[in-house]
Amino acid sequence: MPLILHGLSPLHWAVAGAGIALITLALLFVANRRLGISTGLEDVCSFVLPVPYFARDAVRSARKWRLPFIVGLVLGGHLSAFLGGGFAPTWDLGIFDQVIGLGHAGKLAWMFAGGLFIGFGTRLAGGCTSGHGIFGVSNFELPSLISTVSFMAGGILTTQLIYRVIFHIGS
Amino acid sequence: MALLYVALGTIFGFILSRSGAADYNYIQAMFLFTNFQLYGIIGTAVAITAPGIWWIKRHGRTVLGRPIAIELKPRHRGNIVGGLLFGIGWSMAGMCPGPIFVNIGEGKIYALAALAGALAGAGLFGAVYTRIQSVFRLPRLLVGTGDG
Repeated sequence: MPLILHGLSPLHWAVAGAGIALITLALLFVANRRLGISTGLEDVCSFVLPVPYFARDAVRSARKWRLPFIVGLVLGGHLSAFLGGGFAPTWDLGIFDQVIGLGHAGKLAWMFAGGLFIGFGTRLAGGCTSGHGIFGVSNFELPSLISTVSFMAGGILTTQLIYRVIFHIGS
Repeated sequence: MALLYVALGTIFGFILSRSGAADYNYIQAMFLFTNFQLYGIIGTAVAITAPGIWWIKRHGRTVLGRPIAIELKPRHRGNIVGGLLFGIGWSMAGMCPGPIFVNIGEGKIYALAALAGALAGAGLFGAVYTRIQSVFRLPRLLVGTGDG
């Protein structure tokens, strides 16, 4: 299955998984940091929202590494697009376009709603795919295993509901 | 050090971009069980990271000689409820938090709306924290001075 991005062929899963592991271990071994991206959402909020939750030590002390790391994520995506066929802003959303459709405004509304669930859910769970799913599970932390099983279940139920129950696609 | 974090983030972002982890179709295929690429990636990452963390903890120190300190995440009812909510969002947007930023870098315009929503959702959580704290048995807040 080609990527939406320029129809590129994806990296082999073992190569991608090993690369993610090496970055995770480098962050810990070099910088003494546990991988975690969704806490970066708090780092951004902490600049504008004067509530006690965003004034925690854990937020303030991590801003100086997590924000540069997030800037890197944007750069990495940009580099990937640039090297893979050129940077070109796009609305392409794969099977969403074929099955659900919606215009540009509808897609923005859909994404904003999805984002709300991501932002509130990851903060309530205390982490996301990186902090719970990769680091926490690898460190045998029970809360991370519980969270990972929960968000996989939430994703499976939602996608199955949308694509199999409502829109009846076969594959 | 900031440049090191930017560099690590760039490599991480490039891998997410080219692996399918930041691709709407791959996310749906994972949840539909029609493609196992992302299960392979997560499985491989954990299979290598787990012994790596074990070795680093046993070694006890970073490359620069500082003692390894891993902040553990608390266990509470929010793990399950928050996890389920995040899963709904992951399915809808086809992105988890890292790939939101990767997709913005790739030029996927709608990812900006996902970021706006994620920031609003995180902001909302912070604003209602003290009100939902007892329901989910969330930890007490340790508020600092900002010097850390």
